[in-house]
Amino acid sequence: MSVEDILAAENELTHLLGAQQAVVLSTRIRLARNLEGMPFPGWAKVPQRKEISDRCVEALDALPKFRRGHVLRMGELGDRDRAVLVERHLVSKELAAGKSGAAVISRDQTCSVMVNEEDHLRIQVVKAGWHLRGTWHIAEQLDDALGGTLKLAFSDRLGYLTACPTNVGTGLRASAMVHLPGLCLAGHMDKVSRALNQDGLAVRGWLGEGTEAAGNIFQISNQQTLGLSEEAILKHLGGWIKNVVEQEWNARRKLAHEEGEKFVDRLARSLGLLRSARLLTSSEAMNMLSHLRLACDMGCLPEERRHLVDRLMIEGQPAHVQARAGQELDSDGRDSRRAAVVREALKDFPEVVPPTA
Amino acid sequence: MSQPIKCSLCEEAATVHLSQVVHGNVTKVHLCESCAQKGGATDPAVFQLADALTAASPAPTLTCPKCGFTDIDFRKRGRLGCPSCWETFADALGGLLSKVQHEAAHVGRAPAGTLPAGQLRRRLDAARREMEKAIAGEDYESAARLRDEVAELEKQLTPS
Repeated sequence: MSVEDILAAENELTHLLGAQQAVVLSTRIRLARNLEGMPFPGWAKVPQRKEISDRCVEALDALPKFRRGHVLRMGELGDRDRAVLVERHLVSKELAAGKSGAAVISRDQTCSVMVNEEDHLRIQVVKAGWHLRGTWHIAEQLDDALGGTLKLAFSDRLGYLTACPTNVGTGLRASAMVHLPGLCLAGHMDKVSRALNQDGLAVRGWLGEGTEAAGNIFQISNQQTLGLSEEAILKHLGGWIKNVVEQEWNARRKLAHEEGEKFVDRLARSLGLLRSARLLTSSEAMNMLSHLRLACDMGCLPEERRHLVDRLMIEGQPAHVQARAGQELDSDGRDSRRAAVVREALKDFPEVVPPTA
Repeated sequence: MSQPIKCSLCEEAATVHLSQVVHGNVTKVHLCESCAQKGGATDPAVFQLADALTAASPAPTLTCPKCGFTDIDFRKRGRLGCPSCWETFADALGGLLSKVQHEAAHVGRAPAGTLPAGQLRRRLDAARREMEKAIAGEDYESAARLRDEVAELEKQLTPS
């Protein structure tokens, strides 16, 4: 079963197979593309959506990047499997909600292409840590390869034509998933959010559009897709991420310095609680795991444990907990199972020490 | 008691109230719980949809010859029917684009091997401007990358 394979496979977001970094959890590139002469998925009739899906999946399946990868048709998956894919950011909630969507996912899970979401094709590339250029180059290659086999809807004046005017032009949405406990604790997050909004960047929660920022994690992305080159969009986002990372470090150092023992106490309490709790809600776990990630960044816990914290953040989500248990669980059952998984993972964690960073 | 504010997309009572500030222009949208979840409360398209909804003109005046999509459909959905709709509704979309995108012409990539001359020239102009900016800002790493891009585009524009 393919979703089980995805859960079992080691990949860089959960198993430190790539470079992991403080503050920036992952870098993501998304390109919206459509086939020429076909209605967009939201307006297409069922047989047309089927034709779109067949043509796109066939073209994707032939690319070397997706060799030994996964082809998942949403209509053939159960609720829990689709929820797991959403929690891993491999597909959007919108794709998972429909029957005619499909996802083609590379074996290493860094590339996933959604078929029949809002657009015919949504190419996504995700790398752990901050790797804007590298992530972009993979997306660019995939785009060129697809453009070689599929005739894409493109206009000289407007660029890549998309279902929604907010994506037309480059169809590019570049984003960074950032962990900002320092700015949140210092109460500066609203100010930072406003500054980013005013300069054309969107700030969203952990699971994207319309979600709250559990675990002090935010997704920052460009809004404008037309009239700017890809290079300009990436440079604009890159400049701001660098700035936000700097501000986050300043806030952390200031907090650690001003709060002293109180700062270390907060992190140590979270570790203690996570290590002994018998029931953990999803948001409670996220917020305390955020403290552990902060501790790893600041030298209060060994840095090489950070990837384990990241993995728990992903695997502590409701559908993941149930998939691991192999059964549907009610809310209490999930909280109990989540607490058990976290206790087991943290049992040989060392104690929290004062910061070195 | 005052009337509850209604959702901008349906008739339900609105419980989610959003304000977006873009270059000093404030746009407010009120949504009910389900529309907010469905649309994604932070999706800029929600604002755009509300813009389109509140604009006048009730009867469909334009229909896409390729897919049968009308301007009324666009007002309801905020999404287009097919790639040809971009031509059909070009005039109506022009104003919207300058609002949500600030610029009205593409200067980015094109499908492999299909870059037309007009596109190449616009891209070249943009790359030159960005290069000058990078040099002025002493960002030599970007300037070098842009210099290579300019050289490549100039080569492509020279008839062989």
